[in-house]
Formats: sequence, C-alpha cells, structure tokens
Amino acid sequence: MRSPRSPSRRRRDIQLAYLLLAPALLFLGVVFVYPVGWEVWTSLTDLSPLKDGSAEFVGLANYRHLPDDDRFWWAAFVTVGYAVVTTLAKLTLGLGFALLLARPFRGRALVFLAIFLPWAYPAGVSVIGWYWTLNPPTTTAYAPFMGHVKYAVDSVLGFGAWAFLSVALFNIWRGSSFIAVLLLAGINAIPPELFECALLESKSAWRRFRLVTVPLLKPFLALAVFLSLTTAFADLANVWMLTAGRIVFPVIGTHAYFLAIKAGHYGPASALSLTMVPVLLVILLVLFRLFDPPRQEAA
Amino acid sequence: MAQVVMKELNKKYDEVHAVKDVNLHIRDKEFVVLVGPSGCGKSTTLRMVAGLEEITGGEIVIGDRVVNDLPPKDRDIAMVFQNYALYPHMTVYDNMAFGLKMRKFPKTEIEKRVQDAADILGIRELLKRKPRQLSGGQRQRVAVGRAIVRHPQVFLFDEPLSNLDAKLRVQMRVELKRLHDRLETTAIYVTHDQVEAMTLGDRVVVMKDGWIQQVGEPLELYGKPANKFVAGFIGSPAMNFAEATVSEEGGSVIVTNPGMRIAVAPARAERLRAYKGQTVTLGIRPEDLHIAAGDGRTGIDAVVEVVEPLGSEILLDVKVGSHVMVARVEPTVRAKVHEKIRLNVEPDRLHFFDAKTEAAI
Repeated sequence: MRSPRSPSRRRRDIQLAYLLLAPALLFLGVVFVYPVGWEVWTSLTDLSPLKDGSAEFVGLANYRHLPDDDRFWWAAFVTVGYAVVTTLAKLTLGLGFALLLARPFRGRALVFLAIFLPWAYPAGVSVIGWYWTLNPPTTTAYAPFMGHVKYAVDSVLGFGAWAFLSVALFNIWRGSSFIAVLLLAGINAIPPELFECALLESKSAWRRFRLVTVPLLKPFLALAVFLSLTTAFADLANVWMLTAGRIVFPVIGTHAYFLAIKAGHYGPASALSLTMVPVLLVILLVLFRLFDPPRQEAA
Repeated sequence: MAQVVMKELNKKYDEVHAVKDVNLHIRDKEFVVLVGPSGCGKSTTLRMVAGLEEITGGEIVIGDRVVNDLPPKDRDIAMVFQNYALYPHMTVYDNMAFGLKMRKFPKTEIEKRVQDAADILGIRELLKRKPRQLSGGQRQRVAVGRAIVRHPQVFLFDEPLSNLDAKLRVQMRVELKRLHDRLETTAIYVTHDQVEAMTLGDRVVVMKDGWIQQVGEPLELYGKPANKFVAGFIGSPAMNFAEATVSEEGGSVIVTNPGMRIAVAPARAERLRAYKGQTVTLGIRPEDLHIAAGDGRTGIDAVVEVVEPLGSEILLDVKVGSHVMVARVEPTVRAKVHEKIRLNVEPDRLHFFDAKTEAAI
C-alpha cells in the first residue's frame, strides 16, 4: 500500500532505513568485505613474509601462472570430485533417512537421535570420534584390523587414498545427518494429502517417489545441494583436522593454506582460493532459482 | 454395480476407538453424506473406504468385492480432499491427467477425458495454468475434475467445500448436486455442515463418537430424529429442548414445566403414558412455536430477550422458565424485547426423548 507522502518525508524514511541497516553493514564490512577485499588485493601482489621490502603489484601474474601448475589442476580436480561425490552420497543417504523418519514407527525418536547426533556435535568432537573409529586409541583386535584396511586401500588406490576416503566418509557421515533433518522438515511441510492422493493412483512406491515426492521436495533438495557444495568447496577444517596436515590429496582449500601459511606465497595462494568464487557463484545462482523460484502472478 | 457395503466396521487407534460397529449399505448411484461433529469418525470411515486407513475390524465391500486388503489404487475410487491436494509443480491439465498417467492410459484417451471433464466443469481455459494461479473455487473444480476423469465406481468427498467462502460454498454445492445427477456415480460425502448434508444427500448418516446415530433421507431425519443428538444436530436454528414432567388429567396426557403446559396429541400419548410422573426431554422446532392468539389453558409463557429480524422471518430468543428457546415467526410479528408473550405449539409436532437414554419416545 502506498500512501501519499512528501518527497522530504520519503528522504527521511530512506535515511532512517540506512541508519538502521548501518550496524549490520558495518559488521559485514568488517568480517566479509575487508577480508575478501584484502585477499583480492593480495592476489595481485607478490606479498610474502619471505620477501624483504614491501609487496609489489604484479597484476594478473599470479592468476596467469595457475594453469601451468600441475598441483593446481590436481587440487581443483580433487575438490570438484570431493564436492560432487560427497554431495551425491549425502543427498542419497539424507533422503533415505528423511523418508524413513517421515513415517511413524516404534523407536523413531531413538533413530532420529542417532541420525542427528553426528551433526549436532561440534565438528572438533565429531572429527575426534571419527578419527578414533578409524584409528582406535586403545589396543584391541579392532586396531590392527583397521590398520589392515588402511594398507589394503592404500595399496590398491595409492598412498593417501585411505586418508582421503576417511575425510570423504566423515563429510558424508556428518553431512547426511544434517540433510536428513533438512529434508524431513521439507517432507513435513508438504500436506499429507498430496502423498495420499498419489497413493490412490499408484501402487509403485518408486513411481510415486519420482513423480510426486521428488518434485515436491525440489526446493529443499536444491537447498541441500547448495549447502553441501558450499561446505565441500570450502572444506579445509575437516581435511586438515583428520589428516593433521599430512595431505596427499589436497583440495583447493588445503593447497591454498599450504601455499600461504607453510610456504609463504600469499599472492598465489590468494589467487588460487579466489578461482573457486566464480564457479561457486554460478552453481549457487542456478540452485537459488530452483529452491526459491520467482513467484508467478496469482489469479 | 457399485454399491458400498460396510459390515461391523471398526477402527481402533492405540487409545481411541474412532469407528464403532458401523453397518451401512450404500446403494448403486446413491449420494450418501456422512455428517457429524469433529471426531465423530466420519472422515476415518471414508478413509477406510479409500484404503488410506487400515481396517481394524469388519468388512468393506465395493461393487461385489471385499476390499479390506486391496491397495487404494485397485479399489476403483476417486477422492476429493478438503485442501484440494493439487500438485503445485503441475499444470491444471497435468493435475487432472495425473491419475490416468499413473495408470498408463494412452495419451489420446487421457486428452479426451481431461477435455470432457474440463468442459463439464467450465475450466477449459484454465488447463495450462498452475494451481497457485487459481482461486479457491477454481482449485476445487480442478480437484473434482481430477476425480471425474477417472470414471471411478465411487466418488469419495472429504469436506470438499470447507475451505471455500460461504457464497462459493452454496454455489459449489448446487454444482456438485447437478454433477451427481449427470454422472450417476455412487458418492460418499463427508461434512460437518448439516445444511450441506441435507441439501446434497439422498440419504444422510449422522455420526457421533464413532457410532452411527441415524441413517435416513434428509426430511426423515428432520421430522423423525431417532434421538436427542440427531434432533439437535439437524436443523438450524437448532431444536429447543426443555425438561418436562409427564402427567395425566382427565384421560389426556399433559407435559408441564414452569411456564409451560402442553397437551400431548392422542397418537403420541400412548407411549408417553409409561413415563407418567417422570421427567422427559421435550423437543420443539423453532418453526413450530407460534404466537398464541388467546389465553388458552395450554401454552408457553415466555419473555422476549432478543429479536433477530432476518427479513423473510424473525427469530425470537425467548426465556421460558429457566430455559432459553428460539421461535421462528412470521416477519409480520411485532415483538419487543422484555415483552411477555404466549406461545403455542401444535401437539402433533412435539418430540419427546427419554431423559436418560436420549432415545426418541
């Protein structure tokens, strides 16, 4: 509803709006714009603690050198693979859990708890739990068994494969629980008649799932992919914590960390981590349209 | 032939016995309405017919097949839900075609049936729209269309008009009735609205607390309610009830109560005699109360409390002893608030109910 207002009144309203937004904008500026801006600037220089004197502007040199570096391609490949595989796995598991929990059964609360706990705990705690699962701190028959598993996997897939697999499994274990809860909320938000109506028309659970459940859940599925991809692309903590820096399969995040913090090449490291931004933005835009489609005109 | 027969039908949840020993024979092409207050078991009964609820005990027959263990899809029914249950991601056409597609009908047949149904319902121009672009009435028409295209043996309606505004509801009610005349398909219709039940049903089933209270044609329920609940539930404004004592004076049976003294018609007197000296519940329909002309020996002394002039009639809320009653009188009657009036009632229009069992006497 628009009420007739004088231009000066309107100007005051706008000023007030900005005033009210100011704290949030300031906060965003400090925690988001400043670091990103600094990173963009750094990526255009040869800033390094190993170099005497002030940093010099080098233009796009850091970006131009990226494609020549095999380690960049390797890290990019691993990152995309890591993101896609874990997202698919999380989505499948999460959807399965959500469908399981959507119907009432005895002990549902306990199952819900078991599914939700990995995500509810802080990452640090979950990582330790996972680490001990794969590498038990106490000596039992289980410990050498897990050792054998590690060597078996590494001997087939190459050294470090088991470490990377364990990171991916950790991500899936923890992430699928979150996606399950997200999708469960989505299923619960759909009127049950929509499922019942399908039940009246088809006996095949698969057909009902494909033609009704999935389309109805689409916004929630898109949101789940969105969240999963962002966390996977930005995943540094999990990889680092689980492998304690002994990284054979670097993702972009760990490779950039290694370049900057361990090797002191701030410029190339910044350029490296910024390469992910356009890719992520495109993916996010597409998904954003899916999970929040523009409203069509109502009748 | 698509009769629906329920035999000793029961539904028990963990703690609730929702449907109790329901026996009902719905004839082919009949339009039967299940009506009752919320929690009376009417929706549960319908959902058991649909196959959306498991049957705890008893039997349901559709056509001449026992369908207890038949999945919903194979029962040859089509259901219309209260909130329309249209798929937001599909167009109107796809929504209406959904059931046929799921059943793998050939495309040309689907096309023909959807167009036919769209013509019947006057929604041809909406076929390409999405449900969110439709008004409530249009959505409900699409939901009905989705049921029609299936050519089912039985239509099941679960409060299909409850989400519509009052005016649209009246309009859709008439359309549904016309549709039923045209399609001649057996229909079971659930509602909590007694007016809807009376106008739509060939027969009406009144339910309460999981029990069937009475089954009958609308006017039969209105004129000869089986018990106090049905008497009070059917009709608007509701029937007036008052406790009254039965006595006999000079061979005729009289019921009295402070402010009220009514002679019972000879035809009813016989059964009431058994209650001599006891209290019974007296029931009077608002339209059976008239302003009395003179000062007869029998009648009801009342004080007007509220006057509701509705135009075609006037509703008088009056106080009779300790009871409040409603009288529906001619629009020509001039009555003022606090005015003392005398009302009369046709003796053969009275209803009597056992004070304990509430069954009609």
